[in-house]
Amino acid sequence: MTRQEFLARSGVVTETLEVWLEQRWLIPDETANFSDREVARARLILDLKGDLGVNDEGIDVILHLLDQLHGVRRILAQLRDDVGRDA
Amino acid sequence: MSNPYEVLGVAPTASADDIRTAFRKLAKKLHPDLNPGDKSAEARFKELAGAYDLLGDPEKRRRFDAGEIDATGAERPQQHYYRDYAAADGRDPYAEASGFADFADTDDVFADFLRRTRSARANRRGQDLHYRLAIEFAESIAGADKRLTLPDGDILDVKIPPGLVDGQVLRLRGKGAPGAGSGGAGDALIEVEVLADPRFARDGDDLTIDVPISLSEAVLGGRIRVPTPTGEVTMMVPKGSNTGTTLRLKGKGAPLRGGGHGDQFVRLSVVLPKPPDPELEAFVAGWTRGKDFNPREGVAS
Repeated sequence: MTRQEFLARSGVVTETLEVWLEQRWLIPDETANFSDREVARARLILDLKGDLGVNDEGIDVILHLLDQLHGVRRILAQLRDDVGRDA
Repeated sequence: MSNPYEVLGVAPTASADDIRTAFRKLAKKLHPDLNPGDKSAEARFKELAGAYDLLGDPEKRRRFDAGEIDATGAERPQQHYYRDYAAADGRDPYAEASGFADFADTDDVFADFLRRTRSARANRRGQDLHYRLAIEFAESIAGADKRLTLPDGDILDVKIPPGLVDGQVLRLRGKGAPGAGSGGAGDALIEVEVLADPRFARDGDDLTIDVPISLSEAVLGGRIRVPTPTGEVTMMVPKGSNTGTTLRLKGKGAPLRGGGHGDQFVRLSVVLPKPPDPELEAFVAGWTRGKDFNPREGVAS
C-alpha cells in the first residue's frame, strides 16, 4: 500500500511517521511500499506509547529485543522443521 | 465477559489513576506482541483491553456503574498483531540475528546449522512436494511415460524407468514449490505404487509365471504362447515336460542395474482334459507300464 493508505489505516500522522522511519522502527520496501506487517508494527508502537506508557527510548529497546526474539523463534521453528523432517 | 473491575484487579471505588496504573501493569505482561509464543495472551489481553475501554473512559464507566451498558459493550474488533507477521515467511527487514549470533561463531553442529539457516533464508530453496502414482505391473518392467495431474491443475510428465520396484521414489528436479531469491524450486518426489499382476511374481530381477499345459503338450512337447510384461512370446515345451518343470525365457525379466535383463521363469502345470475323456480312460486302463510306475517311491508313508 502507498504511504497515504498506510497513514489512513494505521492512524499514524505524517510527522510521527517521519520520525519512525528515521529511527528505522518501520522499514518500507525498496519501492516505498508499506505492507500489513508495517501496519501491525505501527499498532504495536502505538500500544507501547499509549496504553503501556513507554517512552521513545523504551520503545527503541523493546523493538530491538522483540526483533531478536523473533529471530530466535524463526531459527527455532526452522530447527524444529529440520529435525522433524530427518526423524 | 467477566466483571471489568475484577479483570483489572481494582475495587469499584478505584480512582481513574488507579485504573490506568492497574491496566498498564497488566498490559505489559499480557500484550500479545510481548508474548509471541503464548496463544492465550491474545484472549486475555482482549479482555483486559475491553475492561479498560470501559473503565478508562469516565462517561462509559458512569454508565456501566449505573447499569446502562454491560461489560460487552466495549469489545475491540479482531486485530492482527505484529507477532503474526514476524512469524510469517518472506521478506523481513526487521530480522535480527544478534540474539544468537555468538552461537554461530563456535565450531559445532548447532553453529553449523545456524550458519546454514541464516544464509539459506534469503535464498531459500522451494519445498519438495510429495505425490503418489500407481502404475501397472507391466509398466514397471518395461518403463512408461505417465502424466500426473496435480491438485492445482498442473500436469507433470513422469518417465517411469524400466525395472522400477513398488514403493520406489522418483525425483523430478525443480518441479516442487518455487524458492525465494536464487534458491531455485524444490523437487517433486513421486512415490510409485506398482499394482500387482496376479499372473506374475517378481523376485529381484527375475519373474515367475505359472502356465498350464495340456497332457498332449506335456507328453509330446510343442509350441505354446506365454505372456511376458512386454507382450506374448512363443516358447518350446520339450517332450516329457511335467507339472513343476520350470523353463527359462532368457532376458524377459526386469532390466538389471547397469545393463542386461533378468529372466522370466515359466513353471508348467499339466492339466487333464475337461470333461474327462473316455478314450483317455480306456487307454490308461490298459496301460500296464503306467501302473508299474510309482511316483511316491522314496516318499515316507
